[in-house]
Amino acid sequence: MMRIRHSLATCAALAALLLGGCGQKAAQPIVVASVSDVSSLDPHLLDVNHPTGSVIWSLFDSLVRRGADGADLPRLASSWERVDDLTWRFHLRTDVKFQDGSPFTAQDVKFSFDRMNVSPFNALQQLWQQTTLKQVTVIDAHTVTLTTEKPATTMLYWLEEAFIAPQAYYSAHDESWLNTHPMGSGPYRFVEWIPGDHVTLTANPTYFGGAPPLRDIEFKVVPDLNARLNGLATADIDLALNLTPDTLAQANTSHARGVTVLGLRKLHFGIAQHSTLAALRDPRVRRALNYAVDVPTMIRTLLHGSTVPLTSVVNPPNNNPALKPYGYHPELARQLLAEAGFAQGFDLDVDFTPMWGQDKDIAETVAGYLNAVGIRTHLHADEWSDFKNHLSHQSFNGIFYAGWAALINPAVELVIFTCNQEDNASGYCDPKYDDLVHAANTNFDPVSRKAQIEAAEATVWNDAYWIFLWRDPEYAGISSRINYTLRGDDYVEMYTATPRPP
Amino acid sequence: MLSAVTNRLARAFLVLLAVSFLTFIIGHDSGDPVLLLARGDATAAQKQELRHSLGLDRPVMAQYRSYLENALQGNLGESYRQHLPVTRLIALRLPASLLLAATAFVLAMALALLSGMLCVVYRDGVLDKALAGLAVLGQVVPGFWLGLVLVLIFAVHLRLLPVSGAGGIQHLILPALTLALPTFGRMSRLVRAGILDVLGADYIRTARAKGLPERDVLLGHALKNALLPLVTQAGLELGDMVGNAFIIEIVFAWPGIGRMTVEAIQQRDFLVAQGCVLVIGTGFVLINLGVDLVYAAIDPRVRARA
Amino acid sequence: MNTWERLLHTKPARRGLLMLLLVIAAALAAPLISPTSPDHLDPGARLLAPLSRSAAQPDTHHPGMLHLLGTDSVGRDTLSRLIYGSRLSLAVGFAAVLLGALIGTLLGVISGFFGGIIEAVTGWLIDVQLSFPFLLLAIFLLGALGGGKTAVICVLALATWVNYARIVRSQVLSIRNQGYVEAARAAGAGSMRIIFIHILPNTLTPLFVVASFSMAQAILTEASLSFTGLGLDPATPSWGTMLNDGRDYLLSAWWISTMPGLAIGFTVLAVLMLGEGMREVLDPKAAP
Repeated sequence: MMRIRHSLATCAALAALLLGGCGQKAAQPIVVASVSDVSSLDPHLLDVNHPTGSVIWSLFDSLVRRGADGADLPRLASSWERVDDLTWRFHLRTDVKFQDGSPFTAQDVKFSFDRMNVSPFNALQQLWQQTTLKQVTVIDAHTVTLTTEKPATTMLYWLEEAFIAPQAYYSAHDESWLNTHPMGSGPYRFVEWIPGDHVTLTANPTYFGGAPPLRDIEFKVVPDLNARLNGLATADIDLALNLTPDTLAQANTSHARGVTVLGLRKLHFGIAQHSTLAALRDPRVRRALNYAVDVPTMIRTLLHGSTVPLTSVVNPPNNNPALKPYGYHPELARQLLAEAGFAQGFDLDVDFTPMWGQDKDIAETVAGYLNAVGIRTHLHADEWSDFKNHLSHQSFNGIFYAGWAALINPAVELVIFTCNQEDNASGYCDPKYDDLVHAANTNFDPVSRKAQIEAAEATVWNDAYWIFLWRDPEYAGISSRINYTLRGDDYVEMYTATPRPP
Repeated sequence: MLSAVTNRLARAFLVLLAVSFLTFIIGHDSGDPVLLLARGDATAAQKQELRHSLGLDRPVMAQYRSYLENALQGNLGESYRQHLPVTRLIALRLPASLLLAATAFVLAMALALLSGMLCVVYRDGVLDKALAGLAVLGQVVPGFWLGLVLVLIFAVHLRLLPVSGAGGIQHLILPALTLALPTFGRMSRLVRAGILDVLGADYIRTARAKGLPERDVLLGHALKNALLPLVTQAGLELGDMVGNAFIIEIVFAWPGIGRMTVEAIQQRDFLVAQGCVLVIGTGFVLINLGVDLVYAAIDPRVRARA
Repeated sequence: MNTWERLLHTKPARRGLLMLLLVIAAALAAPLISPTSPDHLDPGARLLAPLSRSAAQPDTHHPGMLHLLGTDSVGRDTLSRLIYGSRLSLAVGFAAVLLGALIGTLLGVISGFFGGIIEAVTGWLIDVQLSFPFLLLAIFLLGALGGGKTAVICVLALATWVNYARIVRSQVLSIRNQGYVEAARAAGAGSMRIIFIHILPNTLTPLFVVASFSMAQAILTEASLSFTGLGLDPATPSWGTMLNDGRDYLLSAWWISTMPGLAIGFTVLAVLMLGEGMREVLDPKAAP
């Protein structure tokens, strides 16, 4: 008897499992397929825009949200004002609850910002460093003021990456627990993280902005390009990221469509100024390098026309309209090289790393163009970590393929060429340029600030401190189950996606 | 017997110790994890602070000592990139690797036995030649290339099987076949040669003279005796598979420990890479030991000697 | 009939040798027989299928040309890269085998001839080598210290020396006490003389068998390492790096990774057949 009941129970359990399985099939999560895994779920260890950033943006809120066009939109702060050049006041929403039900207050803001200013978080969070933030003051439960040492025109930009964690929860647990058990106020709640495989999120029904339209989201790691394409075709993947220009057409099936967005990241070859090569310190040579590379043809063939040549180191709409692409003029390039005393060419190292799209093809093609004007190129494929090492030590000895600043904020974009800036990998240093950029970054007057920015842009453009390529486009496949608009900065905001009627 | 085993174990331990030292020193010398962890625009002071909090500013021998002490207690440190315990990452990946290696091994052995016998039965016939061709193919093309071709045919064009990743049994088919083929190639030839060798022996002639049917002679007498010398080779092959599986795991994006090792090396996440090398190495050593024990158990001559 | 003559009378050896000579000849004559430079790229002629013709480029006076095996993702001729790639793949294979054989033979002879503590130490080294998945350690070292030609050759040599060492040691042990060696020693010949005149020549033939199998192993392993990006510099044309180049183009341009795979298969088959033939000649009983 016992045995029969036992097996009956087993049958029932099995049936439930099967049915449950079926039920799950009906409510299949929306699957976002990326090349790599998140590195941490701690909001203050956010390292890259995607996938870590995309997941953090879903689980947590910042005071200000960055729109796809760079606009500063209210999120946890309903409004803000500048009290004076050194003081910002933020009015916080009063209807926000964290996912454990506790209310969000100004104390959580102070706690989170203070946490971001200590090791190890401060190696990844640049709010204090970049804005010269000095003090966070809680005025009342829903008002905070931020005081800076210098006027900070980039305050809102950096606040957009400063996420608010509940003080009670984040001070009760240790770092390694918090790394895998995030809890915030965001539109999605955390379900599970199987490292190397996936992160699952589910809609937060009590989100102050209303629960997001799509309920279950799975950020899946699918390193292989062909697997992402096939998953799209078999309807196992709803958003396949990091497709390539050559494979985008394959994403168009009965289940999905290929889309591309003009990215914000600026692809270029940095030209090392600390190099032992005197040639690279001659502006005529650097201009020759630009004239030698057929950027329009590369865009047409290698990128299938999906992007546009750079016209400045600053993204539109803030770019200096007077600047125009160098264009392909190999004869002019040869002439400039001869004028600079390099009619016989010179040996040039060309470094690249898989961090940026089509790295090998682009480096090889550019090297081919440079060879054609008499420069003797030597290609070097670097691991990302070695490449990063060279970047931070300014130790490249030629030109290097890189991307810069997927964002719309001239102050942040221009900073790469300031002397001794940590990101300044080419080692460019011009005190006059620094003065312009620092003046602009502490100047709240829009008109004179614009003039300073455009002057700075013109300096680097005419002195050709990069080989200017194009804006880095993103290629993705989207299934017919959802509507979603890609951002130009790689962040994926699945809470803005909507189901698509069949 | 027992002392032989402890002797082997002691030597294996020394080898693993040496490997742990080598990987630690080289890993330590070849990249600064802090540069990997910190953002490009972090200041030198912030980087130094991080270095200190990770204990990376201590002398290298002190770091190795604490690594070793922790390792002996089953703690292989924390991934620099993912801030997760290395043992947890390995535990997540190990089952997939074991499944793949075990499936491929069983597949290779079963197919090799079958093919070896068929070749003997149809000696010098068409089937014998065809299977010989297959065996050669398995040995001359790189396994990963064959994997790519199989993916191209079965997954990309015919869409019969998944391109990559782990999941159901259909995910296992292509990687297991690809990993099994070189071993199948070598083993099937050895099985064939082994049986033919044994068939010439006196006791087979006796069995045949007794009037036993050819099938019983083949299965009952010849196969059993031909298998014995193959055990050592099978052990070597298993070790070979463990060592070579990484490339198959990469081709098929199989979530195994081999792929994790290579990824960790490429990302300079050296605590993970070291941990993987040590765990795979330990597994390899244990397999070798197991093979020797099995061999000793089934071969009376070895048993008598030990 | 001496060993070499007998070798040439063995069918697989003869065929293997012929195939290998073909590959070597192609590698040596690369500048003469390859249709164009392996580095000549043309963004306008990307991903052309085998047997297609690229358009002429009026601005650079480059005439359109026939691409027998198609072009790759930056418009380079696959056939030319395949031919030039053979140079690097073969050179690395040969160098690795040579270095491995040198180390292995040396250690084998020393340990077999001198015995005692030296034998114990080399024995232990062989044991270490066999008890650890060396390829794994190799990947770690290449990844940490950087790849490149020399590094790959060293790693491959370190992975194969043990095969030679074992063979040579057992050969030396069996020869050491034979009459003619005893006689030489009695006649006052020094150790070096005995090793070079009496012992090494007798170990040469089995060494060639091991070498041919190691060569096959070396070519395959180099391709694997380069494929993962840990081996040869990805920017140089070798069969392994070409395979890697074609990975993302399986669906749209299968020829990029298929052709080098076939080339590797052909070469390895040649080397294996040669080895099989040698084994047949040396030990007719072992032949299948």
